[in-house]
Amino acid sequence: MAEQLLIQLLIGLSSGMILALVASGLTLIFGIMDVVNFAHGELFMLGAYMGTTVLVTTGSFWLALLGASVAIALLGAALQITTLRPLVGRDPLTTILATFGISLVLQNYALWQYGPVARKIQEPITSQFQFFHIQFPWYRIVIAILSAAIIGALWLFLKYGKYGIWIRATTQDRIMASAMGIPVPLVHTAVFAIGSAMAAASGVLFGPLVGVNHAMGLDWILKAFIVVVVGGMGNLGGSILASLFVSLLEAFASLWVSPAQAVIVSFVVLILTLLFRPTGLFVPTPK
Amino acid sequence: MLTVEAIHTYYGKSHILHGVSLEVRPGEVVGLLGRNGVGKSTTLKTIMGLIHPTEGRIVFEGQPIARTAPHRLARLGIGYVPEDRRIFRLLTVMENLRTGLDRRGVTEERRNILLDKVYQSFPVLAERRYQAGGTLSGGEQQMLAIARAMMLEPKIILLDEPTEGLMPKMVAQIREIIGLLHRESVAILLVEQNVPLTLEVSDRIYIMEKGVVRHHAAAAALRSDDSVIHQYLGV
Repeated sequence: MAEQLLIQLLIGLSSGMILALVASGLTLIFGIMDVVNFAHGELFMLGAYMGTTVLVTTGSFWLALLGASVAIALLGAALQITTLRPLVGRDPLTTILATFGISLVLQNYALWQYGPVARKIQEPITSQFQFFHIQFPWYRIVIAILSAAIIGALWLFLKYGKYGIWIRATTQDRIMASAMGIPVPLVHTAVFAIGSAMAAASGVLFGPLVGVNHAMGLDWILKAFIVVVVGGMGNLGGSILASLFVSLLEAFASLWVSPAQAVIVSFVVLILTLLFRPTGLFVPTPK
Repeated sequence: MLTVEAIHTYYGKSHILHGVSLEVRPGEVVGLLGRNGVGKSTTLKTIMGLIHPTEGRIVFEGQPIARTAPHRLARLGIGYVPEDRRIFRLLTVMENLRTGLDRRGVTEERRNILLDKVYQSFPVLAERRYQAGGTLSGGEQQMLAIARAMMLEPKIILLDEPTEGLMPKMVAQIREIIGLLHRESVAILLVEQNVPLTLEVSDRIYIMEKGVVRHHAAAAALRSDDSVIHQYLGV
């Protein structure tokens, strides 16, 4: 039993880190712009497709990761400028409709461009290690560490970088930030681009585990939304903790029920959070 | 340097400013007095580009700025210290100052000069530089709000009720910093409820009533004859 628990712990932590990467981009965009980005899953999916293209051309997984992130960051910036920037200051409902519209367009574009058959990204590391009685792929460990590294880099950038301070100032008080000479519209575009790049990076990293298809964003985005709400909307640290928490719960639950049923755990956590602590589990009690 | 010509500003459907005109010359301290709700703060917000006027012109150093974005105005040299201070509460004191310091063309040397200057005027900010802005007292937050605007090396500062709710000792400190800025030829457009302070530090005074400027005089004239102040402010 102890072995089983340790195995599930490892599975839970590695999926939790990937989920945290998806959720970080989502929560960053919400925190700074009050935009609930329903197209985040599609950016994740397009990132994975872009990864397959670069991988086929160059043969390098790492170039694919980099290339897809940059390409999707540019796409994100273009989407933000054309669709979201004109909606600043309007009812939040309009941005929900806009990003939902973008998600439909991107999804159908992917279906039209790449077809319904899933594509495969070959993982760069195929070796496995013995972990008690199972063979555990090294690749899962690598993506967990890479996700942690990307999130860590984002955190350092926000904490110490000149533009990180601009972003945090804009998050707290958009109007005062602009009165201090911070180009707020540009900060919004940059943040959307960063969030998009993070979605794309997670798409490429996760591609080898699930196969790339036009609907692959759906599952992930749903889970990412759950952890973003559970962690407290717009709270980066909270989303990361919630990602690990929910993933670990699911991993442990699958000891007793099938993995498909274990997904229910996330929803139970979501409902309980909304009922008893709607501001999020991992935020200080609001005063 | 700054000319406001007959501006009309609305908040939604309510018409707040009904053609406000005023002028601030280089290096001058200009007081803007009036009862609550006559549009003093709205005048400052309109100059700062936070609300756009529907009519009228605002000209800063020869450039029309009525439709210019606030961040461009900040870079042109207009500093803004809002009534509610609007400190970035989760940023440290130092980070609050950096929002104004991290501009293009500020050398390391220049940064240190600017920081030294505010730390000298407000030693408490030096002590608390790594503390979150939200943990400061009201008076300290006011100092930080002024210090933050000074980081932009503005040519004019729009100062909205800087002494509101402060202890007399803090009020004295604010008066000192206004004096310092004045000596450095930074122009100030000061909105205040504290009439004696405003008359003391200002060169000229505008008095507003119901969204328009009703009276305009040299501060010295109002200091020696307070009948006008009585008439409009009832004090």
